[in-house]
Amino acid sequence: MFSEFDKRYTHGRGFITRTINSCHTSSLPTPEDKEQAQQINQKDFLSLIVSILRSWNEPLYHLVTEVRGMQEAPEAILSKAVEIEEQTKRLLEGMELIVSQVHPETKENEIYPVWSGLPSLQMADEESRLSAYYNLLHCLRRDSHKIDNYLKLLKCRIIHNNNC
Amino acid sequence: QEKAANMKENVVSATVFTLLLFLNTCLLNGQLPPGKPEIFKCRSPNKETFTCWWRPGTDGGLPTNYSLTYHREGETLTHECPDYITGGPNSCHFGKQYTSMWRTYIMMVNATNQMGSSFSDELYVDVTYIVQPDPPLELTVEVKQPEDRKPYLWMKWSPPTLIDLKTGWFTLLYEIRLKPEKAAEWETHFAGQQTEFKILSLHPGQKYLVQVRCKPDHGYWSAWSPATFIQIPSDFIMNDTTVWISVAVLSAVICLIIVWAVALKGYSMVTCIFPPVPGPKIKGFDAHLLEKGKSEELLSALGCQDFPPTSDYEDLLVEYLEVDDSEDQHLMSVHSKEHPSQGMKPTYLDPDTDSGRGSCDSPSLLSEKCEEPQANPSTFYDPEVIEKPENPETTHTWDPQCISMEGKIPYFHAGGSKCSTWPLIQHNPRSSYHNITDVCELAVGPADAPATLLDEAGKDALKSSQTIKSREDGKAAQQREVESFHSKTDQDTPWLLPQEKTPFGSAKPLDYVEIHKVNKDGALSLLPKQRENSGQPEKPRAPENSKEYAKVSGVMDNNILVLVPDPHAKNVACFEESAKEAPPSLEQNQAEKDLANFTATPSKCRIQLGGLDYLDPACFTHSFH
Repeated sequence: MFSEFDKRYTHGRGFITRTINSCHTSSLPTPEDKEQAQQINQKDFLSLIVSILRSWNEPLYHLVTEVRGMQEAPEAILSKAVEIEEQTKRLLEGMELIVSQVHPETKENEIYPVWSGLPSLQMADEESRLSAYYNLLHCLRRDSHKIDNYLKLLKCRIIHNNNC
Repeated sequence: QEKAANMKENVVSATVFTLLLFLNTCLLNGQLPPGKPEIFKCRSPNKETFTCWWRPGTDGGLPTNYSLTYHREGETLTHECPDYITGGPNSCHFGKQYTSMWRTYIMMVNATNQMGSSFSDELYVDVTYIVQPDPPLELTVEVKQPEDRKPYLWMKWSPPTLIDLKTGWFTLLYEIRLKPEKAAEWETHFAGQQTEFKILSLHPGQKYLVQVRCKPDHGYWSAWSPATFIQIPSDFIMNDTTVWISVAVLSAVICLIIVWAVALKGYSMVTCIFPPVPGPKIKGFDAHLLEKGKSEELLSALGCQDFPPTSDYEDLLVEYLEVDDSEDQHLMSVHSKEHPSQGMKPTYLDPDTDSGRGSCDSPSLLSEKCEEPQANPSTFYDPEVIEKPENPETTHTWDPQCISMEGKIPYFHAGGSKCSTWPLIQHNPRSSYHNITDVCELAVGPADAPATLLDEAGKDALKSSQTIKSREDGKAAQQREVESFHSKTDQDTPWLLPQEKTPFGSAKPLDYVEIHKVNKDGALSLLPKQRENSGQPEKPRAPENSKEYAKVSGVMDNNILVLVPDPHAKNVACFEESAKEAPPSLEQNQAEKDLANFTATPSKCRIQLGGLDYLDPACFTHSFH
């Protein structure tokens, strides 16, 4: 979806420079390499993943709404956004279930980073608006890679005992 | 002044000369600040380290130093490249401790020489998106020929080094390709995460090339591994071939046989496979009779049960009933309105069925139905009146059911009710009907009104009666009796006498009831028939002359109809001309007072004719008046 968007609207226009420090989930203490990931305990790791997923519920919802409301809504992007929103919800449900079963003592603190980028998605100035979408999709792409990698790490750690 | 100018000129030219000299010197040396370098590629083979390469700009002719500086997203510090060597010339290698995933690196290269320096553009790099592994290693290929199975080509490989698959940090997907040595195109197969593969379809005696490559779950494909050669032995038998050939030949032969058989016996086979859909069969229906036009015979053969379908019998409603329980019996068709002059219509008993065989041709049928005392009060208050039968030859069935008051009086459903709506108006030229309305009217209404009607009816009856043939069974006699019922006269004598009684002798007028509706239970709703002999083609609705009709309140066990006058004149049926108008409740008064007397009459009015009992409504009049 990101490459689709970039190819169509923002390619070669240097939007990437504005993505620095633009993700709302950067406040979470997520591991950034293999060693850090292996040092986190399982419980914290799971909670972290759940937090990331929770924090993306609202942005995805607004992304779908805003794209759908566009005049010439790009169908490919919209359909992917819808699918991602759906899959994220299901993934979150599954993760919460796992956490409740594996670590039932976990306190449901429900703390997660809040996204506040909706006003920028609705700005009148096209350049600013495009920049806002670019940032949102950039952060989404990154966080989905993160979650994918974390879950694969957990799978090999828990199920195959680090012997995938 | 000339000297000053000359001096100036000299200075200028000297300066220019010096500059030119200087520039020449420099150019000859090739010393320029370096051109702008460019970082053109960054790659990570394992998501734990990565390397970036740059392209130097134009050479300034002097030794140039390159340095790569970077800072990371979320940090303010600028770092320099930790390793210029591992990656080769013009490269920067970032080791494990310098590599972070999911974080943007902003880097640039600085080229410096004596003359100056130049900076490249900034490059934004996220290690997540620059992953490209090395090709897989140790590709081994061999031909395997197990005894009981087909031979195949078996290939194995191992993942490239330095990639951590065990912890799940890295996930690899593989792809193999092969081709005969001389072929132009490769045959590619995706192998997923497995590190081995089987190929089954091979050409014997050929030399094959095999290659494999890999890719991370998100990233770039690796390069193809070096080709491995394998020679397929010539005795690499494809065992299937012979089998398939024989199977093909056999199927062809079978197909030919089938085609031949079908050609010879096409139709019978088709009917065997696809049996023809049976057409509707009506018991007793003889299509030939239909063709001949003898509809009466046809219909008689069918019997008249459940015909016509009750749902639309309103459409089929006919005015008049024919009460006849034998095929041979036919009543005179009397249509006073249309043929007033024709007192007698030539009638002939059509030994065949009347379409309006209300009694369904069989006494038993009627008796069945007669035994059920129905309480179905409001089924036939249908204002839709039958149109005046213009065709005198209409068939009607008689359902002596008059509308009663509010269900207090049970209804009698004549057995032939269902037959009452024979639509075969056009088929049956000869029909007879009885207008019972007047009968009811006579029974219920004031003496005056029915009297007039009766007189007129009586005339009709007389006319009709003359033409009535003798009947064999009592049914006809019954009908006659009804026809010739005398409204007012004090006829204690049973009017409906089996056969010997000819109503014609008496001056009893006839009243007729029009059946205007038959409901599904066989209840007849009656309409008083309009007497045009009265001289008024369409009598205006007069409350006093409003038609009253009797409702059959019950059936005695001997199939006697017990008629009840209907006090509620809200039956539209009572009004011929305006079928749909709400009738005023006229007879109420009369009906109510008559009702009391009514119930006593049945026994006296019972007439037994050949298994069918009829009530002579005339009997009622005595009680009522």
